[in-house]
Amino acid sequence: MSIVTVQLGQCGNQIGFEVFDTLFSDSHSSQGLCSKRENEAYRASCKERFFNEEENGVPIARAVLVDMEPKVINQTLSKAAQSGRWKYGQHAYFCQKQGSGNNWAYGYSVHGPRHEESIMNLIQKEVEKCDSLSGFFIIMSMAGGTGSGIGAFVTQNLQDQYAHSLKMNQIIWPYGTGEVIVQNYNSILTLSHLYRSSDALLVHENDAVHKICAKLMNIKQISFSDINQVLAHQLGSVFQPVYCAEGSFHYRRNPLEGFKDPALYTSWLHPIHALNVWKTQRAFSKYEKSASLVSNSQFLVKPLDMIVGKAWNMFASKAYLHQYTKFGIEEEDFLDSFTLLEQVVASYYNL
Amino acid sequence: MGRRRRLVDPAAEAGAGALPKVIAALSRSLPAGPSPEIFRRAKFDRPEAAPALWQLLFRLLSPRSADGASASLALEAQVCLVKSALRSQGYPRLVLAQLPEDGSRGSRELLLALSWLLARGPLPEQLLAQAHVQLGDEIPVCECEALASPGPRVPHVEAEGPVDIRCVQWLMGRLRFRWRCLIASQQEQCTLLSKIHLYTRGCHSDQRLGHLSVAETEMLRDPEGGQQLLRRLERENTGLEAALEWRRGELVFWRWMDTVLGACPPEAPAAATQPTFLPRIAERGLGRLELAARELRALQEELCEATGRRRAAWEARVGGQGRGPQWSSARQALQKAVEQELAALRWAWEQDRGPARPHGPHRLVRCEDEAPGGQHLRAAEVIQALRSQEACLEAALRRLQGQCRQELARLAGALPGLIWILPPRC
Repeated sequence: MSIVTVQLGQCGNQIGFEVFDTLFSDSHSSQGLCSKRENEAYRASCKERFFNEEENGVPIARAVLVDMEPKVINQTLSKAAQSGRWKYGQHAYFCQKQGSGNNWAYGYSVHGPRHEESIMNLIQKEVEKCDSLSGFFIIMSMAGGTGSGIGAFVTQNLQDQYAHSLKMNQIIWPYGTGEVIVQNYNSILTLSHLYRSSDALLVHENDAVHKICAKLMNIKQISFSDINQVLAHQLGSVFQPVYCAEGSFHYRRNPLEGFKDPALYTSWLHPIHALNVWKTQRAFSKYEKSASLVSNSQFLVKPLDMIVGKAWNMFASKAYLHQYTKFGIEEEDFLDSFTLLEQVVASYYNL
Repeated sequence: MGRRRRLVDPAAEAGAGALPKVIAALSRSLPAGPSPEIFRRAKFDRPEAAPALWQLLFRLLSPRSADGASASLALEAQVCLVKSALRSQGYPRLVLAQLPEDGSRGSRELLLALSWLLARGPLPEQLLAQAHVQLGDEIPVCECEALASPGPRVPHVEAEGPVDIRCVQWLMGRLRFRWRCLIASQQEQCTLLSKIHLYTRGCHSDQRLGHLSVAETEMLRDPEGGQQLLRRLERENTGLEAALEWRRGELVFWRWMDTVLGACPPEAPAAATQPTFLPRIAERGLGRLELAARELRALQEELCEATGRRRAAWEARVGGQGRGPQWSSARQALQKAVEQELAALRWAWEQDRGPARPHGPHRLVRCEDEAPGGQHLRAAEVIQALRSQEACLEAALRRLQGQCRQELARLAGALPGLIWILPPRC
């Protein structure tokens, strides 16, 4: 079952590269503490999921790269090709020269429709190469113009065209003290649109990852490259093939038992239904033991509330609104987004 | 219960060994068939023969799809199911309903019930047809099978106290997710089938088929699988031969069943006056039917008149319009919509017609040329018919959703100060 990845904007493309690199390195790392047969099954599964086999043997990532300026895409394509171990498809990218100016409306209402056919064609080509399509993985940031605006547009199109496939969006939550002034507008517009067309939003907060780099890894000068690598590492461990939980636990003191505490879950859902455990014999990326936790919790309520609050304050004073209205995003659309996100916040508070 | 006519068949009177042979053949042609000894004991209503007969009836009456799960059902549950299934099919003898639930007694009555089922239709043949080994890639072209066998029965559980709506939402989401996974794997299956059919072109000895099916490919690829298939075919063969042997000698069985019936005590007189369970249209119902038919005819006339008037009025209004290039695309769209609706309507009407419509599973064969065979069904036609049915159902769904929304809005409007915000994803 294959996954087609769509990398959007500067953020999406840089992270996408790191993810594929991590996945490739992991699947080709030595033995991984399990039997040879196990290792081969793991490698074959990972390859089928994320890469396409070519005649000369260099795997090609099942990905489509989209950006409105050429610099990052060119860098990404060449980095991959230079490694010699895997690469992107020769024509699997779409880019323009002008950028989106950090304007969601420009990405969504101008770039999106204008380049819809080209982008969807590229995606269609990747889908046709898959024996069976598991779904789409869309990597984008929330705060900019390309990733957020075009990301929302493309996700909507995927919903229409591939209604039965699953779509997961990887969202990069901007720094609280970010540099883009209208990042809160972009964020709320992205989130409200994705709520309607995506199946799952996997969120990484820049602030949180930054803390990991600083405190856990003791990196002094944290660059985006460090952050992206941590991100890719986390994503890689989530995406690699695993088995469904079956059989009893081998070790007595299993930390996962702690997750079965009902206090962690809502009153209307029994822990048995809420907690799913997947295991694999094969170790990830040279670790002896590792665990990844993906949770749908109230963690994001505060940050979301904060972003909505800040966006609302800007909106109330009509700051920078003309940048959006001139590209077709009216105040109505903003209000709809606010309403929807307030609903989401309320549902999470009331769990 | 009717009694079979007494035919003096010299061949059937051949020796005392004929009866056990015929019963053994019957057993071999049925799933979980008990030994002739059980049948003999059942004639004398011996209790030890009852469980085997309950289990046989359970296998015959339970839905086909539940084979694996139902085999592990307790005897009491099987007894319950057999009783209710026989009752719903109209079994007339009340003695059966009064048998104890633990399945410990009543072997003679069960024997009578079995022969009642056998007398109603070609039961062994039907069961064999259901269990027929398919060598080709079979796909259904109609909904009948899916609708007829609703799957294993889910116990009806009353919710304890109010149900949290969030739980329901979560379950709905999970269901939707499962549906999508199912569709994805079906698409994968189709792609793989297509590949196999393409790659094995020219490999089949049967020219009409031309390529191998999955089962046939597997047989070549994996000898162990081929052995298993062979064993299944041999089992089916055995079943067929047993059914033939049963048919050749069944008169012996029926004559013997007459003696079994004779051995029963006469039914209590009160039982005879009980109404049978078969539905019957009451006398006054017939009058109502007449009335309904008259009303329908009157309605049809009215409709014809109304449409005639409408059409005349519309034509008068439109007059010479409807020509020219800007109309052609609109007209094309209209034509397409009308065609679709017509096809859907036809499909809906023809639901009750018999074998004229494509039915049941068909073998999937990839064909290059346009071989027009009477039994052949073109995939394009089936797809077209299913698409129009889908369009119909979707339109109906949208209509119902609209009605629901209006009703909700009306209810919300009745409460002052309540702002109604619809959920974003419908």
